[in-house]
Amino acid sequence: MTSVPSESKEKESRGHFSELLKVEGKLALREPTGLGMGIGLPIILLVVFGLIGIANPGNVANTGYTVLDLYVPVIMVIGFIFLGITSLPVTLVRYLEIGWLRRVSTTPVPPSRLLGAQLILNLVLALAAILIVIFGSKFIFGAPLDVGIPYFVLSIVLSIAVIFSLGLVVAALVPSQTVATGLTGLLTFLLLFLSGLWVQPAQVGGPLATIMYYSPSGAAARALLSSVFNAAPPLETVVTMVTYTAIFALLAIRYFRWE
Amino acid sequence: MPEDSHTDSDHVITVQHLVKRYGGFVAVNDVSFSIREKEIFGIIGPNGAGKTTTVECISGLRTPDSGSISICGLSPHKDRNKIREFLGVQLQESSMPPRLKVGEAVDLFASFYPNPVNPDGLLETLGISHVKNSIYKKLSGGQKQRLSIALALVGNPKIAILDELTTGLDPEARRETWALIESIRDRGVTVILVTHFMDEAERLCDRLALINHGKLAVLDTPEAIAALAGGNRVRFVPSQPVDDKTLYNISGVVEVERKERYITVTGTGDLAASVINSLARIGVHVSDIEARGGNLDDAFVKLTTHDASNASGGVQP
Repeated sequence: MTSVPSESKEKESRGHFSELLKVEGKLALREPTGLGMGIGLPIILLVVFGLIGIANPGNVANTGYTVLDLYVPVIMVIGFIFLGITSLPVTLVRYLEIGWLRRVSTTPVPPSRLLGAQLILNLVLALAAILIVIFGSKFIFGAPLDVGIPYFVLSIVLSIAVIFSLGLVVAALVPSQTVATGLTGLLTFLLLFLSGLWVQPAQVGGPLATIMYYSPSGAAARALLSSVFNAAPPLETVVTMVTYTAIFALLAIRYFRWE
Repeated sequence: MPEDSHTDSDHVITVQHLVKRYGGFVAVNDVSFSIREKEIFGIIGPNGAGKTTTVECISGLRTPDSGSISICGLSPHKDRNKIREFLGVQLQESSMPPRLKVGEAVDLFASFYPNPVNPDGLLETLGISHVKNSIYKKLSGGQKQRLSIALALVGNPKIAILDELTTGLDPEARRETWALIESIRDRGVTVILVTHFMDEAERLCDRLALINHGKLAVLDTPEAIAALAGGNRVRFVPSQPVDDKTLYNISGVVEVERKERYITVTGTGDLAASVINSLARIGVHVSDIEARGGNLDDAFVKLTTHDASNASGGVQP
């Protein structure tokens, strides 16, 4: 890139990116599995745990939290997992496999823009999931949330970063869409478990709780739990997520191929 | 070594001593050629000969191991962003998101370029405007191919690289696509056409590069290549037996084949006349005469099989 981009070029590049976003958005609506799982599932889980919370008031395993309190962060993390681990890598691997990234790379637009558009699209969906879960749990099911904005933003950014970067590692390493679908399924299941969907770390205790706390999704859920009750996320969750993100990002950058 | 130290003004692409290896396999081995402005330049060769690798190096998708490529004085590797603005590429075996609509695909690609053509007009020209709102996976093979061409042309390129353009198309769609390529050239676009169909190359291309085992076997007009290997053929029935020696002595005769009572001679020049006259002089009359010019198919088979036997160390009789 030796030439200095002129103003019209700048306009041009914004033009193509908004066009890319628009097209990716339309494609996501036409094949709404990612959308359904990333947003629909959190809504269903919110209703389920909201109702369980109503049926079983009182705190869980002496944590001081109700069932819904404990699951608010988990449900958000589940949304991130479906968007970042299930939807994003499968779409990227498919684009790779059918030669779409390669096709785009013959144009003046670098194929990384396509990746960028996919990331933004999934981030927007993640944001929607966050808002639905926070406002739904607070105003519909009466969860006594006290979101500490700085803590919450930090926890959300790190949670999304760690889960999405792991998704990009999958996209970078798997050779085909079939393998991607299988592997992301397995990984999704594992991360859902570690986040505390079936059993909360506070309930199991012992080494399993430690493993959960130091896993990408478990650390994310734990940091978010603190932040929605206006407390700083425990330092070890921050360190855990930053470390994983750094490793995943390095791996993804090292192994991602555009064709 | 200075890059593009000498580029003819009417040469838009100059490839010099191009070498590309994949591991130990040499896919392209010291290939050089120049492409003139506004010509349809064909690259032909058997499967796996290195055709696609060559155009991938030109389009900047692959980096050559050695040699130089100049496109309008620019390097596909260093100036790839600049070149992509005026180089349209249609890739072999490249597909699109299955639910992307035709109209969305061309509009999207139009937004990628500084001076695109009107997408609607292009779809009209390509005869796919009626499927503008159809999604990619519902298109027929021919429609997909046309869309692929549309994406290569929507940026209003000066040069278009079309790889295996008509593979998988029915004969009618192929003919329509050929007419389309000619109209593109008539609009002033230089076209590089990669194909393994000889009829396509013969019909469309101004010049042809035949690549075999990664090497440039021959570079010339389709007519010249057709004549080069094989040339004209004359088949006849002599009124009395003629020995090979007599036949080989006739001017222009290169090869003699016999089948039942027929003799087929292959060679150059006005073969039929010289055979008839020479045989008449020794009192042999010919009947059932059938003459035809050499075609590219014959030349292709001859050039590639000849080369193959050389490459594998085969002994020529």
